[in-house]
Amino acid sequence: MAEKLVPVVCPWCSVGCRFYAVSVNGYIRRIEFDYDHPTVNRGKLCPKGVASYQFINSSKRLKKPLKRVGEKGEGKFEEISWSEAYRIIAEKIKEIKETYGPEAIAFLGSEKITFEENYLVHKLSKAIGTNHLDFPGRYCQYSNAPARTAVFGSAPATNPFEDVAKAELIVIWGHNPAETAPVFFGQYIEKAVLDNGAEMVVIDPRETRGHKYASIHLKPYPGTDLAIALAMLNVVISEELYDKEFVNERTTGFEELKEAVKEYTPEWAEKISGVPAEDIRKVARLIATKRMALLVNEGLNQHVNGFEFALALANLIAITGNIGKEGVWSGVFPGAQCGFCAAMSGIAPNKLPTGKLVTDEAARAELERLWGFKIPDWVGLDLTSMIREMGNKIKMMYIVGGNIAKSAPNSRWVQEQLKKLDFLVVQDIFLTETAKYADIVLPAAAWFEKTGTAISAERRVQRTYKAANPPGEAKPDWLILVELAKELGLGEYFKYEHPDEILREINSVIPMFKGATPEYLTEHPEGCFFPCTEPGEGTKVLFKKGFKTADGKAHLQPVKWREPPEMPDEEYPLWLTNFRQVGHWHTGTMSFESPSLKKRWPEEYVMINPKDAEKYGIKSGDLVKVETRRGSVLVRAEVTEHVREGVIAMPNHWNINVLTLEVTHEKTKMAELKAVAARVRKVEE
Amino acid sequence: MSKKIFLDYKRCIGCKACEVACEMTHGEARIRVFEFPDLFTVPFNCRHCEKAPCMNVCPTGALFRDEDGAVAFDPLKCIGCLMCAVACPFGVPKLDEENKIMDKCDLCADRRAEGLLPACVSACPTEALKFGEINEILWNREGKVVANLKGSAEKGEGEKAYLVL
Ligand code: SF4
Ligand code: SF4
Ligand code: SF4
Repeated sequence: MAEKLVPVVCPWCSVGCRFYAVSVNGYIRRIEFDYDHPTVNRGKLCPKGVASYQFINSSKRLKKPLKRVGEKGEGKFEEISWSEAYRIIAEKIKEIKETYGPEAIAFLGSEKITFEENYLVHKLSKAIGTNHLDFPGRYCQYSNAPARTAVFGSAPATNPFEDVAKAELIVIWGHNPAETAPVFFGQYIEKAVLDNGAEMVVIDPRETRGHKYASIHLKPYPGTDLAIALAMLNVVISEELYDKEFVNERTTGFEELKEAVKEYTPEWAEKISGVPAEDIRKVARLIATKRMALLVNEGLNQHVNGFEFALALANLIAITGNIGKEGVWSGVFPGAQCGFCAAMSGIAPNKLPTGKLVTDEAARAELERLWGFKIPDWVGLDLTSMIREMGNKIKMMYIVGGNIAKSAPNSRWVQEQLKKLDFLVVQDIFLTETAKYADIVLPAAAWFEKTGTAISAERRVQRTYKAANPPGEAKPDWLILVELAKELGLGEYFKYEHPDEILREINSVIPMFKGATPEYLTEHPEGCFFPCTEPGEGTKVLFKKGFKTADGKAHLQPVKWREPPEMPDEEYPLWLTNFRQVGHWHTGTMSFESPSLKKRWPEEYVMINPKDAEKYGIKSGDLVKVETRRGSVLVRAEVTEHVREGVIAMPNHWNINVLTLEVTHEKTKMAELKAVAARVRKVEE
Repeated sequence: MSKKIFLDYKRCIGCKACEVACEMTHGEARIRVFEFPDLFTVPFNCRHCEKAPCMNVCPTGALFRDEDGAVAFDPLKCIGCLMCAVACPFGVPKLDEENKIMDKCDLCADRRAEGLLPACVSACPTEALKFGEINEILWNREGKVVANLKGSAEKGEGEKAYLVL
């Protein structure tokens, strides 16, 4: 049978690379690069993109619905039919609703499923009557997103990637795009630096792949970046380097900000962060005088003080006028190809899919008119709070494509909590660590086995198509949700036979996506930039005239220093942080099942500076125990100058969250995933 | 007219997309990314030498030059005698222990026949790997270097000039 080139969007990071899945008889035989269309990746792919169909052919794929027969977490299941699975779930939902009310049920959407599917998760949770709705993205952009919303009224990227290539200054802060988004790095950042003469500054406790292009490298202790950002605000204001016209015309709150940061001198920040005051001044002056692309990610987001840090940076962007024009870039950078699919369909405990709040009566009424059923008006729980309330307020969870037993902070605690649920449903493509705690596991079709919409970090909305048949009886997530709705007697609200019909409903419900119709996206493989209010009407550069705030101005926010929740002390004297590897993704559910990736990036390890290694008598290759107050893991040591003294670092795809801290920020509910106190010692083999 | 892959080390970020692309095309990666302790990375594959020593010593004619100038390989003729491996100054040809013959980069002969770029070049996200008429690539590179030298000289930052390499 002939080969068919099926255009697809990459299933991993949020760059939004396109390529072809070469499909023969419902199987993907190989991939082919797309040098035919004006794609964001210009044909290029990183190793994950190239290897991206391997995991769908893994023998470990789920093929039949499963019912737990062993203990929770043990992984013993028996196969059941779809009709039995739906019947059990529907009965349980009814029973829990009758006994405890719908507020005992929580749903998780996913950054791994399509826009349409997230929309359905949202709709089903509301139809069942609960607002306990979140997704693992809670641990991703939920510092930068709320901070940018507070200042600019909206969080997503301000400009397309092509503007990064036009910037004069690239500041990479707590982000490692050379490994986490290589195509973005190669096609846009490198072009700025190597071809267009931009200067690069990196702020990171580690040296990473992109470092060789940087002229300045600041190495703060993890979790102390806020001090540096505050000192930069102090320098830019006290040296009067800020963009006065921009501040006067387009911002409010400057005087309060000035007052708030006046004590935060670079010398003060040096004491906290370990970064020389002069270097902080140098970088602050560069930011104030050059057109900047500011690239931040989890090194900013995954801290309890990440919100304050992100506020400081948003202030800095605003007072230096690095926004609302061409040749600059800033914004959230989701870790997954569909992080925006969940966020923009309102997967959050306080939101409607329209982006309005659940407490907004008029917005609710309007959606009730469109959907035809009553929507609960209370604010639900965020993911960490759901975990905390398992067995208490939360009796049942329905998890689509998320692996919280491994990705949420303090995994041992999460696993104990999962056992307390009365009923857990996990819908996934593999029997993940989380699925092992489920009562019912539903086998889902993987990316490439369904058609749908993805949204990239530069706000690009693109279609991806079905190239392979799911294995066994696995079904696309949207179809599972539709069939379950029917079983629950909610069928009349879920009459979809194809993802196109769901997207058409999204077009009419979410104004920002009105123009992203199935027809438009099929004709334009390069997609459109949301807000796309009419077909063909994308918005490439945001905030050229006004910001998304009520008065159209950027609201500068006074920020204060806030200590990380846990700092090194005598017992646990080192900072422990973590990072992503180019060959892996999230908790490895998919990348560990990709032989070409697993073989090159085989195992976890801990990076330790030679000075610390000497202190603890550790050599490269030694087996060591890395320990925090939550638990410990055994790994090999890599003694290297590429991590600063006082800090140890591990890749985050394996067991890092055994060590992280479940304390959350009171407003954003972000946990401490990137900076905790640890100790390390050699283990005799 | 000789088509080659030019390695622009400065652009490489060691992501190994080239290795994975080659492996997925040929079963085994014929390009390798070498990593040094200073984080410098060097992708390296067959140089397709103009005066290829491997080709000269191959007793069966399994190695031959194709119309694009690549040192290509006919597996049916190879006897696995390792003479090419002995002669290659870089250690490029490797023994395929399963098939008892040699294995080496053929600049993706099958892909070129279909008008496609070699797999590693198609993938490389940074354009550290460039495929084409080698002198055209080198003229472009020279032109860019000279333009940068001039730009740096005008800005009085002579020492920056080498950075473009
Ligand atoms: S850069 Fe991201 S989107 Fe592109 S190929 Fe790699 S993982 Fe896929
Ligand atoms: S040209 Fe083809 S065979 Fe040679 S290294 Fe690249 S991908 Fe491998
Ligand atoms: S694909 Fe390109 S950037 Fe990546 S390792 Fe290979 S040569 Fe280097």
